[in-house]
Amino acid sequence: MTDVLTHMFTNFMSRADSSKDLKVIPPAPAQCGVLVVGEQNLGRSVLLLAAVTAACRLSVKVVFFAQTQIQSLPVSLQKCVPSLSPESLKELLQQVAGLHESTNTFPVPPSLIIVDRLEDFLRGPADESHGVEQSRAAHLSALLCDTATFLTGLLEQQTSSPAPCRVIASYKPKEQSGEFSVSDQVLDTLDRYFQVRCTLDQDRSYKAAAAGLQEVWHIYFSGTGITLDPCAEDTEVKPGLAQEWQLSIYPDGLVWFGAEELPSPDPR
Amino acid sequence: MPAVLPAVAEQLFRDIRKTYQETAQIPDDLLIALRFVFGACAVQALDLVDQRSVTCLSSPSGRKAFQVIGASGSLYTCFTSCHYCPCPAFAYTVLRRNDGLLCKHILAVCLCEAMGVTRMQSASDEQMTALLSGTLL
Repeated sequence: MTDVLTHMFTNFMSRADSSKDLKVIPPAPAQCGVLVVGEQNLGRSVLLLAAVTAACRLSVKVVFFAQTQIQSLPVSLQKCVPSLSPESLKELLQQVAGLHESTNTFPVPPSLIIVDRLEDFLRGPADESHGVEQSRAAHLSALLCDTATFLTGLLEQQTSSPAPCRVIASYKPKEQSGEFSVSDQVLDTLDRYFQVRCTLDQDRSYKAAAAGLQEVWHIYFSGTGITLDPCAEDTEVKPGLAQEWQLSIYPDGLVWFGAEELPSPDPR
Repeated sequence: MPAVLPAVAEQLFRDIRKTYQETAQIPDDLLIALRFVFGACAVQALDLVDQRSVTCLSSPSGRKAFQVIGASGSLYTCFTSCHYCPCPAFAYTVLRRNDGLLCKHILAVCLCEAMGVTRMQSASDEQMTALLSGTLL
């Protein structure tokens, strides 16, 4: 289920790191999707790159949902990544629920569904109880997963080399005094349905500032979907090379992106 | 807790399916196992099964959804591939308190499917879209 993002991260690594290619693991059909958790602008960039990478390099049919229309993509890429701009949760639910109807008119159903900024759709009035927002999150997530399961079945019937339909969505947790809240009940609900989380974690440590970097981001996968992967034992991921990347932005605008190596486990 | 059932629950449904196909009943040991795994909602779900409260709707596109008539007469549209029910018990017990695997409606769907006693009904693609999005109750 992380295949599209893994492929993208590996391809965008700085040249010195690109020799350490990770094997792209096709997702298991029963697994649903990846939730990109973190800051909104970087989250959208990750989703857009994932959409373009999937459409152009992996020949995957993509559908992209975002409340605010994408205007930064060139026209040619906008054709590869058709985007829909539902204004409300109700409209988003109707458009996702209606994807089975488009299978009657389009020859190949989408195999990647992307939803940008779930929080824009889920958040209600400030005085609303947490339970209502949680229920909305569960309905939307379950509909996305159920739709992906249905489209996976169709892809298996229609194409010679079937690949499961994937879902990637982004979510920015609620903030408490400048930090992301650790007890975001909506995020807990989303984690029930999205079994892999891709965290975009900004490094605010003294070390990053001392190195003269404007911004440092750590990007890593976590969640039950990774350990559940039946192909995990066959991967060529080297011991000590975790699925973790670092994005460094320098004050002059230079950007470095590469894999982060974690210390090898103690052989004892 | 993920939105998929633990292996023990999946195995239980497989055992119920096999036994029900052979004997047209669920023996006491499997009923006790159901009560053990799912708690109090197992009995309520069996009530819904007895009342044939579960209907599987399918549309020409091949999309399916389950509707369950609750004890109060309310109609709930449930997803089974990843477990979701719009009932208050699912929102409170499963989502908020993380205190149960399923609500009685989803469990009733799983049991009806295992026993092969789900009622079937057709719907148009447009009706299915409205049903899944929650705009048609």
